[in-house]
Amino acid sequence: MNKPKLSSIRIPLLGELILSGGRPVIAIFLALFVSAIIIYFLGVNPIAAYTSLLKGAVGSIPGMANTCVRASPLLLGGIAVAIGFKGGLLNVGVDGQLYAGAAASTVVGLISMPVPPWLHLIITILAGFLGGALWALIPAYLRAYRGVSEVVVTLMLNYVAIYFVSWLVHEPALLFEEGASFPQSPLILPSAQLPILIGRTSLHSGIILGVVMAFLMYLLIRFTPFGFRTRMVGENPEASRYAGINVKAQTMMVLMVSGGFGGLAGAIEILGLKHRLFDMFSGGVGYEAIAVALLANANLIGVIIAAFFFGVLKAGASKMQIVVGIEASMSLIIQALAVIFVIALGLGGSRMKKRRRRSQKNITITETIEDGD
Amino acid sequence: MKTLKDTNSIEYTMEMVGITKTFPGVLANDDVTLRVKPGEVHGLLGENGAGKSTLMNILYGLHQQDDGDIFINGRKTRITSPRVAVDHGIGMVHQHFMLIDNLTVLENIVLGIPPEHPPFLDLNSARTRFKKITEEYQIPINPSTPVWQLPVGDKQWLEILKQLFRQAKLLILDEPTAVFAPSQVEQFFIKLRQLTEEGCAIIFISHKLDEVLEITDRITVLRDGKLIGTVTTNQTNSTELAQMMVGREVSHDRKPRPPSVEKKEVLVADNLCCMDDRNVPALRNLNLTVHTGEIVGLAGVDGNGQKELAECIAGLRQPTGGKVSIQGKPITHVTRDTSLLGYIPQDRHTIGLIEPFTVEENLVLKTFDTDPLTRRGIIRWRSIQNNADKLIDEFNVKTPSSRIPVRNLSGGNQQKVVIARELSGKPALLVASHATRGLDLGAVESVHNILLHERNQGTAVLFVSAELSEVMALSDRIAVIFNGEIMGILDAEGADINLIGELMLGHRETVLNTMQN
Amino acid sequence: MEINLAFITNWLATTLRLSAPLILVGIGGVYSERVGIFNIGMEGMMLAGALAAVAGSYFTGSLIVATLWAMAAGGILGVLHAYLTVSRRANQIVSGAAINFLALGATNMLYARLFRTVRSRVALYPIPVPESWQSIPFLGPILFSQSLIVWIALLLPFLGAWALYRTSWGLNIRAVGEYPHAVATAGLSVLRLKYTGVIISGIFAGLGGAALVLSELGYFAPGITAGRGFIVLAALVVGRWNPILVAAACLLFGAADGLQLWFQTFKSAIPYQFPLMVPYLLTILALAGLVGRVSGPKTVGKSYNPENI
Repeated sequence: MNKPKLSSIRIPLLGELILSGGRPVIAIFLALFVSAIIIYFLGVNPIAAYTSLLKGAVGSIPGMANTCVRASPLLLGGIAVAIGFKGGLLNVGVDGQLYAGAAASTVVGLISMPVPPWLHLIITILAGFLGGALWALIPAYLRAYRGVSEVVVTLMLNYVAIYFVSWLVHEPALLFEEGASFPQSPLILPSAQLPILIGRTSLHSGIILGVVMAFLMYLLIRFTPFGFRTRMVGENPEASRYAGINVKAQTMMVLMVSGGFGGLAGAIEILGLKHRLFDMFSGGVGYEAIAVALLANANLIGVIIAAFFFGVLKAGASKMQIVVGIEASMSLIIQALAVIFVIALGLGGSRMKKRRRRSQKNITITETIEDGD
Repeated sequence: MKTLKDTNSIEYTMEMVGITKTFPGVLANDDVTLRVKPGEVHGLLGENGAGKSTLMNILYGLHQQDDGDIFINGRKTRITSPRVAVDHGIGMVHQHFMLIDNLTVLENIVLGIPPEHPPFLDLNSARTRFKKITEEYQIPINPSTPVWQLPVGDKQWLEILKQLFRQAKLLILDEPTAVFAPSQVEQFFIKLRQLTEEGCAIIFISHKLDEVLEITDRITVLRDGKLIGTVTTNQTNSTELAQMMVGREVSHDRKPRPPSVEKKEVLVADNLCCMDDRNVPALRNLNLTVHTGEIVGLAGVDGNGQKELAECIAGLRQPTGGKVSIQGKPITHVTRDTSLLGYIPQDRHTIGLIEPFTVEENLVLKTFDTDPLTRRGIIRWRSIQNNADKLIDEFNVKTPSSRIPVRNLSGGNQQKVVIARELSGKPALLVASHATRGLDLGAVESVHNILLHERNQGTAVLFVSAELSEVMALSDRIAVIFNGEIMGILDAEGADINLIGELMLGHRETVLNTMQN
Repeated sequence: MEINLAFITNWLATTLRLSAPLILVGIGGVYSERVGIFNIGMEGMMLAGALAAVAGSYFTGSLIVATLWAMAAGGILGVLHAYLTVSRRANQIVSGAAINFLALGATNMLYARLFRTVRSRVALYPIPVPESWQSIPFLGPILFSQSLIVWIALLLPFLGAWALYRTSWGLNIRAVGEYPHAVATAGLSVLRLKYTGVIISGIFAGLGGAALVLSELGYFAPGITAGRGFIVLAALVVGRWNPILVAAACLLFGAADGLQLWFQTFKSAIPYQFPLMVPYLLTILALAGLVGRVSGPKTVGKSYNPENI
């Protein structure tokens, strides 16, 4: 009847990763397989295509730099979504938080401060985090205290953020750079720029920040009371209430932390890559971050791997286009197929759980996602 | 008592013969036979989990039986879906309303009925028919009202009207009087008799013995999935029925009490009033005290305020009047102080445990952020594991590891995890709500022993249960709750089960009279 | 920069033209959310429909074929979304997002292979009224200069509303998103109703894509839908999931869009981004309960499990 499944061996981190990685790995293989079939029908040898993709992504120093650069915002965005998942929330607003964080860190990055450069950088990064967290304040409050689904509100705020930033960089608004040919802010101060890791590449330390943050968040979720509470509320808010947890406050905090990471994702794009704020500088990273978190099964270490996978796809795609003539948008198709297979394989190991929330009225959507067992 | 209608050639309007149905891990119906005569009101009795709902869901086509046959008017019938059931004149009124709040009464009535001139939704002819039926049974419901505006009693009527609209000849009513006030129940029964006089047969599912005795012609009792027997109503009484439902002789097998300790008040509920989820008063000036080293059993039919009382004590529900305190400390919100209160909720699956969490995690839901489980802001998993090992040993929880998800454990062991957690802080008061529901006999025995052990150690225990025999065997004192009030408190030693039964039904005067004689 | 008749006429004409695709997508969106499935993939479905419409017009010259291809493209993605969310009970947001990526990647690729070198514009929807009517003051430029698809977009909401509120099928659709178990006990197929609702939203999103490209543009460009599928989600909330009100909301949003275009072109004092924000802010206010009580179909976003009652 109720037979226990796992042995009592203490499962190390790697083991956890492997166990929770099962379904996504299968999904990735299926996606690559189906895409190979498509490539074949387009008249190209799939092996050649994938080889060129890999070469482009990791076969050279500039390639690897590009991969890391592409992966960085996906990593931080993936962390944002994954933390939200842990707390039972679906943060679709990473795009908007990204813009908010970018704007905030641009502003702070333009201000000359009487502090050592490294401190200026840290303050700027913090500003990015705060920007994203504040952008999540309204949806967080509405969800925690008024039972309004965070999905629609964060989705709407994405566009508000995009337009807001657009206004900021157009003349005659705050951040507009005089005399520029398109709407952009002035360059941020050198002290606010993220150090480059490898000379003459664009590889900025945003990737280090991302990896460090992933580990830190993993530790936070696993080893702090805040993390435990987050998981409790994410799995079963009613039981958490019975155990005396302030579910509303916890929900709000989790969404704001999640937003903060979305803000960081935007901050590093500015501080590391572009060094100034543009109109529409992000191409839908927020939604890809959801895919990243999904492929990682909301596991915070797995997010690193998933983000790199996407980074490889994006960085290698242009080489693939040049060498074998398969358009770069193929990588989008591979990404999409990977996600589709993950959710189509759904009711096997990890499950997407939907849960009733009797305590909430005007709810239009509620989703919770549990990580791998 | 009404006389049975004359039957012509068909003796039974519906027969379920030898029905067996298994769900994963549960034998819900074990060779059950139920026969209903035309125009009769047939009661279906049984405790929660006895198999009544499953049997009726099979009759209504929501499930298929594994074995056994169904006969409608003598002809063997396979009921593969609710639509088939409806075509055969079977109508079911569920325990939970199957009404769509945002639609109107009329829209709910016609939902699922194929339109006469598809695709048009012809509400007008439906409205006329509806008005005729409401007039015939004198149930004034406006067809244009959105359902969410209807009072609860009207919603119940609407469910029944839905079936009458579909010309049901066999009505299954699942706990229909749950939402009625006593005065409304009388009205309801009058109309039920009207229905049967028109040729409708009714299966009346309830666990309210007095109502079943009043309205039915015959009664079938189920227990643990098996058929216990079918009796004629005017040849039986509540004691016999209760025993059929519960199955055991009231055991006067009482455990010896330790020598008398100084009794201090632990739980004090003082004129406690509160509302339930439907904003109906659940507790009315309830007074109750539990002392150290005693088990107070709260006896009563499900739904008389037990859940709300437990929640008020746990701080999960705000009283609207009066107050409740533990060891003198007033309870205003949920406390995580495990030295004060241990609360075993009645729904361990959804609120007692977090099912995907491991055993060791579930054991620390209230204490994970305290020393020694957390020091300097870091959770120490080794301590959590040690804590789990200790509790697993102490409470004899059968699990191969503390690190497996708690949902993999058997029901009895899951309950032990809840109990172990709640008792781990050695609370002054333990509230156990339906702690043995759904457990097998061995597990029930374990839980009882744990409770008795606690009592012997000096813990105050409030034991809520709908199983009277259990309450009587375990308690030192028995408080009977009815309609949100304590009807009476008796010493368990030498208590008369019939007296308690009367109090459970709210017949306080009868009891007083008896006691005076 | 005076607000004169010419300005208003121009603005209203632009409004109708810009709103038509939104309205078409919106009607479908109503049906999807009414059966309880959140569909953020309408953006991708619209995009696929747009490419299919251009392809159909290019290769066959027939607008009927083009329209059918567009509806089919959207419909197929609709089937995918329905399969994932209803049968596999997957997370509806993730499914929709994946469909958007898929559509974006696939349309980009197909566009590059088929149309990048094509310089001509394809056949457009005709204007269904005699040319002389276009010179009628006021109504001429505003209404009678619109292509057929705009007329269809203005009329379909009424059909959509009639189907939803006046047919028994529409009643079932409305019921299943509120309380699927009640619908099941009434003997109806919850699965079939949900699939239908989602596939309808796909078909109409595809149709909206056709309206986007074949009304005045005559060509496809990568990512041409530019978020229109998302703004429709806002219209659903503001329009309370009623096809006619949703269409009105789409008109409102189209008007805002027209306004910002004008602001951009004529460098007005008001930043053009602000009217663009209006639909989204409005939706948030509506959800927060500040603009009347808004609650969508009760089970939108939740998956239906026949085992659980």
